[in-house]
Amino acid sequence: MQNRTEKIILTIVIVIAIATFCYWLYYNPVKDLTVNLPGLDNRPSKGESADTMAVIGEKFKEYTTYTSSLTGKWPRFRGADIDNINKEKIKLIDNWGSSRPKILWKTDLGEGHAAPVIYNGKVYLLDYDERKKSDALRCFALENGIELWRRWYSVNLKRNHGMSRTLPAITDKYIVTIGPKCHVMCCNPTNGNLLWGIDLVKTYKVEVPLWYTGQCPLIVNDTAIIAVGGNALMIGVECASGKVVWKTPNPDNWKMSHSSIIPITFGGKKMYVYCAIGGIIGVSAEGIDKGEILWKTDKFKPSVCAPSPVIIGTGKLFITAGYGAGSAVIQLIKTDSTYSVNIIQQYRPSEGIASEQQTPILYNNFLFSIQPKDGGTARNQFVCCNPSNCKTILWTSSKADRYGLGPYIVADGKFFILNDDGTLIIAKASATKFTLLDKAKIMDGQDAWGPLAIADGYLLMRDSKQMVCIDIKTK
Amino acid sequence: MAEKKQYNRRDFINNSLRAGIAVSLAGITVALTTRALSGKSVWQLNPAKCVQCGRCATSCILETSAVKCVHVYDMCGYCDLCGGYLRPDTKELNTAAENQLCPTSAISRKYIEEPFFEYQIIEELCIGCGKCVKGCGAFGNGSLQLQINHKLCVNCNQCAIARVCPSEAFSLVSASDAYLYQGKKM
Repeated sequence: MQNRTEKIILTIVIVIAIATFCYWLYYNPVKDLTVNLPGLDNRPSKGESADTMAVIGEKFKEYTTYTSSLTGKWPRFRGADIDNINKEKIKLIDNWGSSRPKILWKTDLGEGHAAPVIYNGKVYLLDYDERKKSDALRCFALENGIELWRRWYSVNLKRNHGMSRTLPAITDKYIVTIGPKCHVMCCNPTNGNLLWGIDLVKTYKVEVPLWYTGQCPLIVNDTAIIAVGGNALMIGVECASGKVVWKTPNPDNWKMSHSSIIPITFGGKKMYVYCAIGGIIGVSAEGIDKGEILWKTDKFKPSVCAPSPVIIGTGKLFITAGYGAGSAVIQLIKTDSTYSVNIIQQYRPSEGIASEQQTPILYNNFLFSIQPKDGGTARNQFVCCNPSNCKTILWTSSKADRYGLGPYIVADGKFFILNDDGTLIIAKASATKFTLLDKAKIMDGQDAWGPLAIADGYLLMRDSKQMVCIDIKTK
Repeated sequence: MAEKKQYNRRDFINNSLRAGIAVSLAGITVALTTRALSGKSVWQLNPAKCVQCGRCATSCILETSAVKCVHVYDMCGYCDLCGGYLRPDTKELNTAAENQLCPTSAISRKYIEEPFFEYQIIEELCIGCGKCVKGCGAFGNGSLQLQINHKLCVNCNQCAIARVCPSEAFSLVSASDAYLYQGKKM
């Protein structure tokens, strides 16, 4: 009897064990989970875009002729010396006085952040004509804003936090532009005659950056220097002929960023520095190795990079980017004839001076910037630091004086700072403390992010849809 | 001929006090009446004060917080690089789990047309941690915002989250106007 009971119990135990084992074997504890893989957003694969081919510079219209006695120049992004400092000996106002700033002229623009350059009394801007759906290089008279001519070509764009966002580069003989979809165009700045054009997407398989192109071209010794991505990392194009005279390989497949190329000289060697999506690179600008990579680093590689590198010492560069990337200070090292890079500082935006969109300014050996939104307690404040230690902020503007993504420039010992809403601030350019001199609302628009330009005492500024000119000379 | 009564300083003060009391009583009456007519009050958080500390996810008495992310579409930029959807250091702008900022994958992303993407909140998965709200506010237009979902909220006498909210973003609001989105109401 006892034996039989034992057998029954044993059988039951075995059955339960087998059932438990089967349940364990067949039960799927993750059956309700879904796997997040790339492609769930139904993004079409590359190359499915139905963009029509642009015929760069195909159309031209001259409105009137104009000559000016003005000789002031703001010939490219951040000015002639690429430091965003106007060095003209013209006394500029400290405040607006009792009256509201007088707008000399204004003109409607396509939505965007493209900004003008100024050359001998003429203003040049690569606008986007929303009605004609075209990139349009427009030339205006600085003193009265009359449009003199425009050259344009059809490009279909969709609004994406603005459309246009670059500045041309201009010399006596050439003006070079880069459009939102990476169309490079070179014209004669006097009469607007087309010299040549290059479609970087078609020629080099470039990926158009997020929110369109932000890179501003550079002209050195009548050669246009363009950062590319795709099949080449950088190219030098002879302005007279449009011939590509050198090409830098892109072995790591780095992509075009919104940052612009900065020329520097280190160890007796001229080079071009560029912060690509993927890393920072130095390219030889002279000699038999022109166009070859001298050094590179991927230790600091933000996913989006709008500010350009800032030279803060001999072979020492400050590089910053938004979207949480923060900043890095790099030191170039020359050993015999080879170059290498040492990262001196690298930190998050809340830990030191940083910028999301505008390039900081080195003035009188101090570095000035507007902290990004993720810049900790100093967020959106105008700040100053000694570049020997970019993590130590010397002063901030104050909680009451916060700014957005707008531009700032130094002229006549003063900062002119443009807030997102079109308010122009004048502050003393001093490393001691932030001294607000005056401010005035100039425009009623929004997203006033395009860089400022000053020449001959005229200040050009824009919001997302309009450009205005004001006379800031002391009367 | 009746003598004209002198209106002295004492009369003026007395009348002013009476008028003041009358106006105050009328104001209180109007306020109480308005409140009574508008129905009960409910808890809500003000997105302008919210600092996305994460306590909404952990302090609600419900098993899964009644605080959810809402998307105010008219404020959204529909960007490919969305600070509310993607981790700040991500290199690939796609839907892979390692690129997503939301710990529960409560945001779905859908391609509309080049270069725009639509982002939708999957409410059942949202735990109200506010990570996406922080990312959107830091790099985008601030179209992702936290709100108490009144279909889920049991409207405690004293909201447990309000008690620990460091920015005092919670307050009682009229049930007839129970949401405090910034931007257009959906």
